[in-house]
Amino acid sequence: MSGMRHSFALSFAALLLAGCDSLPRDAAGTTERIERMQAMRVTILPDTPDAHPALALLGAYARDHHARLKLVPLHGEHAHKALEDGEIDVLVGHFAKASPWQADIALSKPVARGEPDDKEHPVLRIARRNGENALILATDRLVSEGPR
Amino acid sequence: MSLHSGIPDAIAADVRHGERLEWWTLLWIGSVVVVMALVMGASQAMKSAVIEDVLSLIPAIVFLLSAHWERKRANNRFPFGYRRANSLAFLVAATALLSVGGFLIYESVTTLVRQEHPTVGGITLFGHTLWLGWLMIAALVYSIIPPLILGRIKQPVAKRINDKVLHTDALMQKADWQTGLAAIAGITGIGFGWWWADASAALFIALSIIKDAVGALRQAVAELLDGTPRALDSNAIAEDAERLIAALKARFGDVGVRLRETGRYIAAEVDCAPPAVIPSATELMGDNAWRLASLSFRPQ
Repeated sequence: MSGMRHSFALSFAALLLAGCDSLPRDAAGTTERIERMQAMRVTILPDTPDAHPALALLGAYARDHHARLKLVPLHGEHAHKALEDGEIDVLVGHFAKASPWQADIALSKPVARGEPDDKEHPVLRIARRNGENALILATDRLVSEGPR
Repeated sequence: MSLHSGIPDAIAADVRHGERLEWWTLLWIGSVVVVMALVMGASQAMKSAVIEDVLSLIPAIVFLLSAHWERKRANNRFPFGYRRANSLAFLVAATALLSVGGFLIYESVTTLVRQEHPTVGGITLFGHTLWLGWLMIAALVYSIIPPLILGRIKQPVAKRINDKVLHTDALMQKADWQTGLAAIAGITGIGFGWWWADASAALFIALSIIKDAVGALRQAVAELLDGTPRALDSNAIAEDAERLIAALKARFGDVGVRLRETGRYIAAEVDCAPPAVIPSATELMGDNAWRLASLSFRPQ
């Protein structure tokens, strides 16, 4: 009985260790879709003249997944809705830390600069669909490793 | 100790032990709240766990307050002392337990109905960005240990001093470690991309918390409505109360015997004229003699 318990504990631990590298996964499978379609759908919000550093990071992410960036032109709230509905993968634009969209989409840390003292001050960030935790972690890593 | 105030010598050491355990509870659960708040990020599941932990401090606080009041001397304004503070504390503790269960149900059901996909992203520590979920799981493992140990130590003490507040607090500790386990399952589920895992696990645990809370609430209301003393862990009549009724009936014949509970103490009323010799509490209740605070008879 105790042998069985040990082998169960060992296989559980092995499963957990094997899972460590592959966790987290996306709730709606965005990463897999990007790899399958070989395209990452990106919308740049209007009035984002400094989007280049964010696009460079996303381009690097897309290359790692054998995909390319596909720009999807959308405006204002349509873009937020499209992100929430999974019609686009990421949204690049200026968002404040205390953005009213904060609960509905997953905002990255500021791209290519530090966090401003003023929580209401909008700066360049990458917004991802809530729950797409693999994509969120991967892009969070790129933002933190990128230039400040 | 006087007739209506103070703590009997027979249980004084255990009550002090209970108080020490509650101070430790405040310290440990307080530290859990701080650790969890540090890693909760934007996770709703973690936010719920923190709120649940804060609410779970209520029974410990009301136990300490009621033990303090129990020692206060009776006075002209409160001639029966403050022993019923324990009954009131029991109602508050049971309500806190019910609030925790209700809150968890509300959070889980709204998450499931709205199909909210929980986001747990990365956190950068010492130049490395790791998944915040790992830190959350570590904090949750820490949050499970103190309630698991404290809850188990409290149960026998609560039984010895017949304290329903301390017993409800042990139930709260059970709720604490169970929600901690559920949250670990939930965060792991989020890791696997199962957005519903967290809320479903919490809902499952919340139903068992509500069951415990409703039981405690029924006992608390019975106590405040002068019901016959109830057992510590159910709404059944307490065994020592049943024995006391039988002992009084054996002594005074088939007369009406009414018992009610004030905190941990029993007051008995026998429907006959006062006898020439009034039995002692030890004769009637044996080892639990301290429980019998008063025995009254019908006037001539």
